[in-house]
Amino acid sequence: MVSKDEVYSVIAKILDVDKKEIQEDKKLYDSLGVDSTEMVELTIALSKQFSVKLDTKEISKFATPLEIVDLINKKKQQ
Amino acid sequence: MNRVAITGIGIVSPAGLKKETFWANLKNARSFVDKITRFDASLYPSRIAGQIHEIDKYTHLSQRLIKRIDIFSHMALVASQQAIEDARLDLNSIDKNRVGVFMGNALGGWLFAETELRDMYIEGREGISPYMASAWFPAAPQGQITIYYGFKGYSKTVVADRASSALAIWYGAKVLLEKKNDYILCGGMEAPVTPYALLCANTYGELSKNNSSPKTAYRPYDLYRDGMVIAEGSGVAILEREEDAIKRNIPIYGFIKGVGFSCDGFHYSRSSLNTEALEYAIEKALEDSNFSKDKIDYICLDGVGSIVSDMLEAKAIKNVFGKYLKNISLSAPKSMFGNLLGSQTAIDLIITLLSMQNDLVLPTINYEEKDPYCDIDCTPNKPIQRKIERALIISRGRGGINVVLGIERG
Repeated sequence: MVSKDEVYSVIAKILDVDKKEIQEDKKLYDSLGVDSTEMVELTIALSKQFSVKLDTKEISKFATPLEIVDLINKKKQQ
Repeated sequence: MNRVAITGIGIVSPAGLKKETFWANLKNARSFVDKITRFDASLYPSRIAGQIHEIDKYTHLSQRLIKRIDIFSHMALVASQQAIEDARLDLNSIDKNRVGVFMGNALGGWLFAETELRDMYIEGREGISPYMASAWFPAAPQGQITIYYGFKGYSKTVVADRASSALAIWYGAKVLLEKKNDYILCGGMEAPVTPYALLCANTYGELSKNNSSPKTAYRPYDLYRDGMVIAEGSGVAILEREEDAIKRNIPIYGFIKGVGFSCDGFHYSRSSLNTEALEYAIEKALEDSNFSKDKIDYICLDGVGSIVSDMLEAKAIKNVFGKYLKNISLSAPKSMFGNLLGSQTAIDLIITLLSMQNDLVLPTINYEEKDPYCDIDCTPNKPIQRKIERALIISRGRGGINVVLGIERG
């Protein structure tokens, strides 16, 4: 299992934002203005960090940080 | 008749990252050329340049944006912000659908591209940044400026070697007079101080190899000149129609009065030894600007600093101006900081406007010995006091792209 904190650290690092700015139940697009190119970078970084195969089709900029944590954990259990 | 007024300028150059510093440094006739320090350039034939060292101290951009863009976009965004503030443009009240961006660039953004391509070959497909696609190409800065400010007017990037920003400035002025836009950000940006871009510039063959003495290496028109020194930076000017500038009650630096252009039609990389095409461009600029030869006060020269280019430029000027030449001040202030290639005319425009504002002609530095084939008075080594009402800026790209702008004092 990966923790929320671990995932949010990667999001904060990749987007160059403070971890406190991450709103876990808001879509990344709405809360941080994330665009599709940033999502590609984020997806690759999360895949590498947590050793799961994530696809940009599975995580869009309309995903919330909480949904991303759930997806990673689901993948890890498979 | 409507005139195109210049109401704001922004500059990022080796001689300063804002107009006040830039002007103060150039007035002192100092050189800002140095050994390349960004990477190991020891094996390059020419390894000196005018470099930007402190852009992070002057930037208004977030780290989140900076890491997505090449340094040439970064420099253009910083220069744009300065120009917008200088012109006191209220971004909340203007119609952004009628603001266009016209930029010139010759090489693209290689600092970003080189690193990412290396990572791709080492790490595979996932090693490359997703921003690569939007970071490297010559129109990237134009895109970044329009996105950053939300400008949606007709915009273009011109790629025409060292004449790129001259053509971009003219294009912007034309669009303004056609009333397609109300405000134009125009100029250029160039970042040739990267391993690959420096290699290209070296292959080009007109670079000074006087590496042991960087400060005196760039010496246009001097007998011992051996080529130009490259430089990085960006210059941006705000254009608007004169009547609008008057309505806004904003000081006007000067006016873009006209342009002349031609191509040598001779060779893909060399200029023709026949100077007729360049002379034609100068004549056309005078005609288009409604300037008579005896009323020109200053010519900002192309000043490549290579044996042949300087000789041809001197010959063309003499042929066009004849007896009037002795009353015209000529100089290539770029000798102080290097040649910004596709962005050079944007810097030359800013230099010309500041010279008009300060009644001062900046010098060509490092001039020591007269070349009998190039015997023009290029305002050697020291600035001179002179009121400038009308000026020309000469810009020549590789393979004989000739562009001459006519500028009138504001």
